[in-house]
Amino acid sequence: MNSIRHKTKAVFAAGIAGVLVAGVLAVVPASAQDAGRKGYEGVPRTWLWNPNFNEMVDTAKWKKEGPYTIGFSNASISNAWRVAFQHGILWSAGQNSDQIERFLVTDANDDPAKQISDIQDLISQGVDLLLIAPATEEALDSVVGRAMRQGIPVVMVDRKVSSPENYITFVTASDTVVGRMEAQWMAEYLNGEGDIVMLPGIAGASPAEIRIKANKEVFSKYPGINVLEMQYTDWNPATGKATMAALIQKYGDKIDGVLADSALQGYGAIEAYLDAGYGKGEIPPMTGGDVARMYQLAHEYDVPMMGIDYPTSMGITGVETALDVLNGVPVPSRVEVNMQIVTSPDAETASVKADRYLLDHVSMDDPGDLSPSNGLPEGYNPATFDPEYPK
Amino acid sequence: MSAIVATMRRNRLLPNYMVVLLLLAIIIVAGTLISDRFLTVRNFSFLFQQMVVLGLVSLGQTFTILIGGIDLSIGALAGAITVFVASFLDWRPDLIWVAVPVAMMLGAGIGAINGTLSVFLRVHPLIVTLGMSSVIFGLTLMYRKQPGGSVPIVFEDIAYNNFMGIPITAYALVAAFAIAGVWLQRTGTGRMLYFVGGDEEAARLNGVPVRRVKILAYALAGFCTSLAALFLVAKTGVGDPRIGLPLTLQSITPVIVGGTILAGGRGGVFGTFLGVLLVSILNNLLNFAGVSSYWQWVVQGLIIIIAVGIYRSDRRGG
Repeated sequence: MNSIRHKTKAVFAAGIAGVLVAGVLAVVPASAQDAGRKGYEGVPRTWLWNPNFNEMVDTAKWKKEGPYTIGFSNASISNAWRVAFQHGILWSAGQNSDQIERFLVTDANDDPAKQISDIQDLISQGVDLLLIAPATEEALDSVVGRAMRQGIPVVMVDRKVSSPENYITFVTASDTVVGRMEAQWMAEYLNGEGDIVMLPGIAGASPAEIRIKANKEVFSKYPGINVLEMQYTDWNPATGKATMAALIQKYGDKIDGVLADSALQGYGAIEAYLDAGYGKGEIPPMTGGDVARMYQLAHEYDVPMMGIDYPTSMGITGVETALDVLNGVPVPSRVEVNMQIVTSPDAETASVKADRYLLDHVSMDDPGDLSPSNGLPEGYNPATFDPEYPK
Repeated sequence: MSAIVATMRRNRLLPNYMVVLLLLAIIIVAGTLISDRFLTVRNFSFLFQQMVVLGLVSLGQTFTILIGGIDLSIGALAGAITVFVASFLDWRPDLIWVAVPVAMMLGAGIGAINGTLSVFLRVHPLIVTLGMSSVIFGLTLMYRKQPGGSVPIVFEDIAYNNFMGIPITAYALVAAFAIAGVWLQRTGTGRMLYFVGGDEEAARLNGVPVRRVKILAYALAGFCTSLAALFLVAKTGVGDPRIGLPLTLQSITPVIVGGTILAGGRGGVFGTFLGVLLVSILNNLLNFAGVSSYWQWVVQGLIIIIAVGIYRSDRRGG
């Protein structure tokens, strides 16, 4: 599946990373070097290209003798991304069962009020650390801050809460990079002229809002790009499809591009075009990474696309970072996992070059809901994967 | 199973709440066996903090169901009030004394409008309150699409702090249910809710001001929702238009499980209180047992069906 081109790049990246890690950034701790280890080689570019120094957190005061009880409060597993993300977390807990005695998991069904209760229930069970993927930034801030003040270290993963003093570190990928890259690619692919629609995720969820802001930052430099309409899609393929169908009906061929911030609604949008009678090569350029079906449909119907997965592998890094905290290893205040840019073969633009083309990234046989950037062992299938972990 | 229960009922072996109490006992024993941290002061303190919102909306829902109605605008209203309070306060503690009574009036007022529309337009409350829910939600979203605003820390403390070792929320919840219980059973106006729910026509012929009683029931539901929303916004610290939405359906479960029948006229707040305890402790237990939240839905559904089944068999038997 890996092209020679990709291998060359990987070797090159590893070379640079090696030099940097060994030399310039000799003080970078293990967790930072490891941030993109599983499935994605190389140090995250957000770490390398940060024009400021990366801020480190001293975790000595959280150091504790193992084995540990870790509580993981998940917002939900209500879409393919979240399922793969939780799979990574459970798998990683299993991989570290020498250090983890019990790994407790709760699921809030996207209800922040329930998640507050879930977090309290985990605290009641005497967890040594809380790993939290909050349903919303704001509503969980208070309860998370109270946990920290009670002496329970908190590591945020995937999403954070509003106040930085309420957690130790935040394991994520850069939503600003996702938002900028997608918008930059769209603007350049359309040569700076065109009417587009924006299909962001969930209103109020921080990844969605940050991406929108980053999109707008880019478009502010392209006055020829006109946003016809923006509709939230809840990162749901069915909603994405229904929303896009309505937009096609309203604007038809006037739409020159579809800026979806994820493939979850993105492939729904492609399906809406197919249902509306658009054929191979007739669908306008689209963005959105995260699940295989988007890349597969783009290949099958010649949709010019650019995707940048928000890697579900951050769950694996989240567990590893949590263990770093309990072991007293310093961690960056923000742990970013690596991301790769995927485009259709002829869709690279001046500033957005592909790390991989569509079929380097997924195969046509992959399950449609596969998250390609999962970091899990070869042959991972979300439908059947059932990792062992210390319960 | 239901035949046994019916027989026991006929012989007065099984008072109304026995089923819920029995389930509660089973859950507590199971919890104690599953984890030695289940039956602890800390866990039960948290439980009372968790219960208060569900408790107050269910209390409100009890009034509307008692008169044979229902209020489906509870969730949207709760969200709207959190948005109002957080936006209005915006960290300022000195405005709490304005925000709280205004929130209560807002709740009671919207409730009264629900009741009035349903009574005078003669439209089923299901439709009126569903429509109202949509109106409130839309208006709230126009003002604030994403969670925002903020309440001062001292306001958050009412949701999390203890007074003499017991959560403030526990006092609030017990007081609200006690007042409501006494009012319903011991006052003329309170008992009118039962008359209206039991047989509206008979109540009218006996000189009960049916329309006013109905409007009052919805106003009380709105008022309780506003109290719940105050605790909710204290808990989360922000106004969130969506945060209340699951409460609409959640508020019905404890009422039904507690033995208040959907047709109205029978039941009461003590049963609802037990229902709230049951649902809350059950969710807590399932979290302790590491059961996926999908099962939490399934088990809640099963409990409703079983409870309603038992109450129905009771009516046939009685």
